[in-house]
Amino acid sequence: MTPARQPYRNRIELFQGTLDMLILQTLQRGPMHGYGIAQALRVRSAEILQVETGSLYPALHRLERRGWVASEWGQTEQNQRAKFYRMTAAGRRQLAQERAKWETMTTAIAGILDPAVES
Amino acid sequence: MSFLSRIFRHESRKRDLEAELASHLRMAIEERMSRGEPADEARAAALREFGSVPLIEDVTRATWGWLWLERLVQDLGYAFRQIRRSPGFAATVVGTLALGIGAAAAMFTVVDHVLLRALPFRDPGRLVAMREHGAKDAQQSGVPWLDLQQWMAQNHSFSQIGFYDGMMGRNFLEGTSGAMQVAGEAVSPGLFATLGVNPALGRDFLPEPPGFGADRNTGTVILSDAAWKAAYGADPAILGRKVRINDQSYLVVGVMPPGFEIPMDSTFPEVWTTITLGGEDRKRWYDSPNYNVIARLLQGVSFRTAAAEMSAIQKRLAPAYTDPRVRQARSEVLVQSYADSLVAANIGKALLALFAASGVLWLIAIVNATNLLLARGTARQREIAMRGALGASRSRILQQFMIESLVLSGTAALVGTGLALGAVRLVRSVKPAHLNVDLSAHVNPTILAVLCALTLVTALVSSAWPALQAVRAPIEPALKQGGPQSGSGRRHNRMRSLLVAVEVALSLMLLVACGLLLRTIYTLRHVPLGYRTDHILVAHLAIPSYRYSGRNIVVDLYQPLLDRVQHLRGVEAAGYMSEVPLGQSFNIEFTLAMNGKSINAILKPVSPGIQRIFGFKMLAGRFFNDQDTLTSQPVVVVNRAFARLYSPDQHDPAAIVGKKFLNLRKKTPAEIIGVVDDERQARIGEPSQPEIEICLPQISPDSGMYQPATIAMDLAVRTDRAPDSMIPDLRSILRGANPEFAHATFNTMDQVVEDSFGSQRLAAHLLEIFGASALLLSIAGLYGLLAWVVAQRTREMGVRIALGAPRGNLLWLVMRQAGAMLAIGVAAGAALAWLSARFIRSYLYGVGAHDGWTLAAAAALLCASGLLAAYIPARRAATVDPMTALRAE
Repeated sequence: MTPARQPYRNRIELFQGTLDMLILQTLQRGPMHGYGIAQALRVRSAEILQVETGSLYPALHRLERRGWVASEWGQTEQNQRAKFYRMTAAGRRQLAQERAKWETMTTAIAGILDPAVES
Repeated sequence: MSFLSRIFRHESRKRDLEAELASHLRMAIEERMSRGEPADEARAAALREFGSVPLIEDVTRATWGWLWLERLVQDLGYAFRQIRRSPGFAATVVGTLALGIGAAAAMFTVVDHVLLRALPFRDPGRLVAMREHGAKDAQQSGVPWLDLQQWMAQNHSFSQIGFYDGMMGRNFLEGTSGAMQVAGEAVSPGLFATLGVNPALGRDFLPEPPGFGADRNTGTVILSDAAWKAAYGADPAILGRKVRINDQSYLVVGVMPPGFEIPMDSTFPEVWTTITLGGEDRKRWYDSPNYNVIARLLQGVSFRTAAAEMSAIQKRLAPAYTDPRVRQARSEVLVQSYADSLVAANIGKALLALFAASGVLWLIAIVNATNLLLARGTARQREIAMRGALGASRSRILQQFMIESLVLSGTAALVGTGLALGAVRLVRSVKPAHLNVDLSAHVNPTILAVLCALTLVTALVSSAWPALQAVRAPIEPALKQGGPQSGSGRRHNRMRSLLVAVEVALSLMLLVACGLLLRTIYTLRHVPLGYRTDHILVAHLAIPSYRYSGRNIVVDLYQPLLDRVQHLRGVEAAGYMSEVPLGQSFNIEFTLAMNGKSINAILKPVSPGIQRIFGFKMLAGRFFNDQDTLTSQPVVVVNRAFARLYSPDQHDPAAIVGKKFLNLRKKTPAEIIGVVDDERQARIGEPSQPEIEICLPQISPDSGMYQPATIAMDLAVRTDRAPDSMIPDLRSILRGANPEFAHATFNTMDQVVEDSFGSQRLAAHLLEIFGASALLLSIAGLYGLLAWVVAQRTREMGVRIALGAPRGNLLWLVMRQAGAMLAIGVAAGAALAWLSARFIRSYLYGVGAHDGWTLAAAAALLCASGLLAAYIPARRAATVDPMTALRAE
């Protein structure tokens, strides 16, 4: 038996903080379960970002520990039992902070990568 | 939140997580199915995309912060299962390590107590002992008052200087129930302050300027706690009471705290009076009284600074000695930390050597355990690969191996501690009586902790190393081949052979040391002593002789007692000697001038019957007999060593017979009537000192020797019964002669001789244990490795036999490997033994430190047992049945 590792190779690895931000952003539109979050990230990044379950669930549990998301069991549209995560007020504040930080960083990096813009 | 409710909450969270992941999978499968994939394909694809469920559970739970504990419990359980599955392996590792820890910890305890002991003084690290010695010879002596006075006046190194000297002869304190023997010490009034200890009861001696005419403390005494308890039942009303010491009256002004002693290691409870300087203290000559000096270093002054200053001071003082020999002998000052001054140099060295030996044993144990754990790790490569394939992370596998070895070595540490406690008790029981070593305390916790920690670390490393290698190795080959001979097998094998060779080398070193000491003991036992030792019982008599002042103690006590003892049933002969040979009890040395030469000799008053008991061999003349009385001509007997030095004809000891010297009685010189052959007096390993024997019945209070000659007496009895069985009868006769003899101690002469082997016997016993353990461990290591190799190569052996290899060749194949390990080990061990021999040289007698025969014998023993151990797996290899071997795999 050989574990199928090959298909995962070409994906972009996300930094921990970035994944947290993306999860919070996804939850802004309403409570969602883990599978839904993974699908949403994949679809909305045009299949570029595939979040491994091994990263997703630790991230979700970490966010819950910090009080940025809360979870409860509920029913999906297909009538499946699933655990739904919802963003808290603290999570909303955190997201705003993270976004601000992210934008500062991307501007800065872009400035370095493309100096022509600046001069 | 209580621990239990936390665990319950933890369990429910675990189930919650499982459900969450399961729902994720379900949704993924349903979505694929809704896109039209067949159920089983959808399931497989979803699972593949999801990854390993347990692994994800693990990493998720890790964010909760409780995982480490859970894993620990799991690994512990796993470790115990492993141990249960192979109890032989576990027992070997635990036993090996425990042996090493136990021996080293026990030895350190002894060393710690003797060399690094805690002294009952304030800040003992700043206390120094000072003695004078010659520039050329190491002979040390105490310090005369005139020198001491200048030291006090001139030094800038010490805050205080105290000094003391033993009171003359034997001392007795009159307690509430009779006299008890005490160690009486005369001290300077500031000594206790120098040591930084105050009396627990009452006051210290009054401070007074040191010197002549100081008398504020005259007639006062301070008791030790031990003396106070033994003589007065710890009566607090003792302060201000008059007590009698040696028939003199003293006022008790204080009692020192428990455990306080000065000097240390006294046989008897101590009492202290103050020094009164006398006429002899006003002169600088050979007979000036010597004082033991203890000083306290000033803060910030080092030993070296102090030693340099004292040396400079003494250079100015020494010329004041008019006698050139005395001047030479007092030209230097030895400044030594007080703690160091308590240990005789040779004992200190020997203890360190023994400690090193126990360290070597510990090393062997560690090497052996390492080897075992290495073998085990290698054998488990497949298991590791399997667990890796099932999704266990590397750190997880490593952690589990380490926990397993921690359980093993932790158990070993516990067992080793038990062994150490037992061993200390054992050492205490074989400790020779005159070796003043206090072993009352228990194993030092620090050293035990250090040893256990080192052992744990070694065990960890030796179990983690093969695990680490196995984890790094690619999984598939290990699983596919299923063969234990994969990859690094050969290198492991060589490494393990090397470890066995190291064990063999270290063992040889210990065995050689053990052999040398055994030969020493053997030689000592066969030294001609110069007297018989069988069927002799010795009673050590200690009596306050001042009770007989004004009377002749010989006539009033010793003679009548001897007459009664001689009539006891079973007694063939009885006699007195101030100290039986090797008795280590009481020694009279004296110096006198004869024909312009000064004579140094040991003086022993004896009764005529002593010759029939010990059977001293006469070289010339006769021994004392019953005709030598108070009224007859005074006579003496000398030994061969005396005759050799002082006889008119060096080569004829008989020539000294008839010479007259030594005024035993006023104006009547004694005549030498006989020469006895040399006998071993103080130690078996030392040649005889010149000795003069005087006849006890000829001693009276009129003779100058009366006082020293009658203070102490050993009563020796030759019996045709078992010597021990005489003790009750003898004791009752002694008590009848004087109630204060009730506490006399008895010993058989054979035991006295045995005790005199002292530290050599102790060292030999310990090395026997160390050597035997080392031999056992290294042989076990050798056997273990070969057995493992043969087991691993069973298939190869089968193939060889199937292809027609003679079975003898296979036997040879294995034996050759054993031979190589032994040869390397013995060669390295011989070199080690050669280098280490000098550490025990001071303990050897009659055998050189580099004795070839001992080395050869030890090597032969090691090789023989090694080859015997190798023969078992070798035979197994040679008798492999090719069909079974090939089918087995």
